[in-house]
Amino acid sequence: MLSVPAPSPAEMRDNAAFDALLWSLSRPGRPRDLPEPGESGIITALLDRECLVYADDPLLMPQIMRTGATLSDIEKADHVFLGAMGTSDPLADIAIGTDFYPDDGATVIIRAKIGSGPALRLTGPGVDGILTLHMGGLPEGFWKARTARLRYPMGFDLFFVDGARVVGIPRSTTVEEA
Amino acid sequence: MSLSTLTKPWEAMSYGFLDGSAKRELRRKMLKSVAVPGCQMPYASREVPMARGWGTGGLQVSLTLVNPQTRVKVIDQGADDSVNAASIRRFIARVAGTPTTMDTLEADLIQSRHRIPEEVLRDDQVLVLQVPNPEPLRPVQPNMSIARQMHADADYGRMWLQLYEQIVRSGRVMQGASYPSLVHGRHVMTPSPIPRWDVPKLHMAKHLTILSAGREKRIFAVPPYTRVEPLVFSDVPYKVEDHGNLTCTRSGTTGFFMNEIPQDDSSSAFEVSDSEWGVKTIRAREGEGESRGETWYKDGEMPQ
Repeated sequence: MLSVPAPSPAEMRDNAAFDALLWSLSRPGRPRDLPEPGESGIITALLDRECLVYADDPLLMPQIMRTGATLSDIEKADHVFLGAMGTSDPLADIAIGTDFYPDDGATVIIRAKIGSGPALRLTGPGVDGILTLHMGGLPEGFWKARTARLRYPMGFDLFFVDGARVVGIPRSTTVEEA
Repeated sequence: MSLSTLTKPWEAMSYGFLDGSAKRELRRKMLKSVAVPGCQMPYASREVPMARGWGTGGLQVSLTLVNPQTRVKVIDQGADDSVNAASIRRFIARVAGTPTTMDTLEADLIQSRHRIPEEVLRDDQVLVLQVPNPEPLRPVQPNMSIARQMHADADYGRMWLQLYEQIVRSGRVMQGASYPSLVHGRHVMTPSPIPRWDVPKLHMAKHLTILSAGREKRIFAVPPYTRVEPLVFSDVPYKVEDHGNLTCTRSGTTGFFMNEIPQDDSSSAFEVSDSEWGVKTIRAREGEGESRGETWYKDGEMPQ
């Protein structure tokens, strides 16, 4: 008779981080708590040798390298870590996948201020009617640049990290600046 | 950097059976499938100690999601006690140490073969459906490369033609289970072989549904509050099975999806398909207290 395997602390952290990511991407605009502040939980839960990663934030590099992921240009990367953004230019280069394989669109992780800043009106799958979200710390023209890139079902999916809180905005969500 | 930071302690078995790289791949694909509702995403589909086609797709999703606090319910055609359900439930509990339940309201994660429970799922619950054939276009286009092109173009004319031909030949839509449905107004998906009765439960539901086909190596999802509209012509309304007036011979409950049981005199008896709903009804009748939750169907009708 086998004994039940016990999850290691790393396993529990990855499981909790993914639970927060899945929950927040299924319910755009509603914050959820990661097991620890910052991107580290996201990095260990999602990345491994099969991933192409672009990171703007040099502080994340050691941890990304430890997962075995390959560093790449932003155009080819399937996971893009932009840190705190100064300009919305990087959005123009992020991979959006193809009509045949929309899953090749990148997952983008950005630092932002959740709960303060300009109001956004979200509609789409996962939103019951309309949801108003306040999000600050993003560069001028961010949402316009996003809208300009999206060709649903092609597009990229956003996670905003503020401390341990995370908000997901998938490509299916329509964002209006109120 | 030292050797110890690059390795981890020896384990007899990974927690939840799947190894880390399998789980990370599934996690990445689950996020993409939520981001594009109803669109089939390819994934690797690792080996599990169960033959492909017996729920391996659903099992891999469940094993990725569970932690020792996740309460798991597994059903097969509505029943918690059929062989497939019982063995999957036992396997998950054995490799992940999860508590199990048969009560829909108590469950955090529900893995199901071909039914959605009759009680309304909450927003903290996840429904995992096992899918034998994820491609709704297969009856009209067996070449999967061309089918992928048709999905890319949202070219679903042949699906409509197929429904039209059924109506012309038989006077009604003959599609019983896996009724093709348009998700978020863009992708046609098969809701897995759930009866027509269950498809409206996915429309604007509060819970997340993940559909995974292990043999076909594809995964897709229906996030909460997402439109799921069965393909119908405006003058031929969508019809669910005529079970609204049937009464279960064992529990006496009326207005739910029933299993038809042939009798010796060539008549039929009916038994409620959601076995735990039947059990709860019997408990309430015998004065053991009311444990039944709110149901999707009320008096045999789905409220609009």
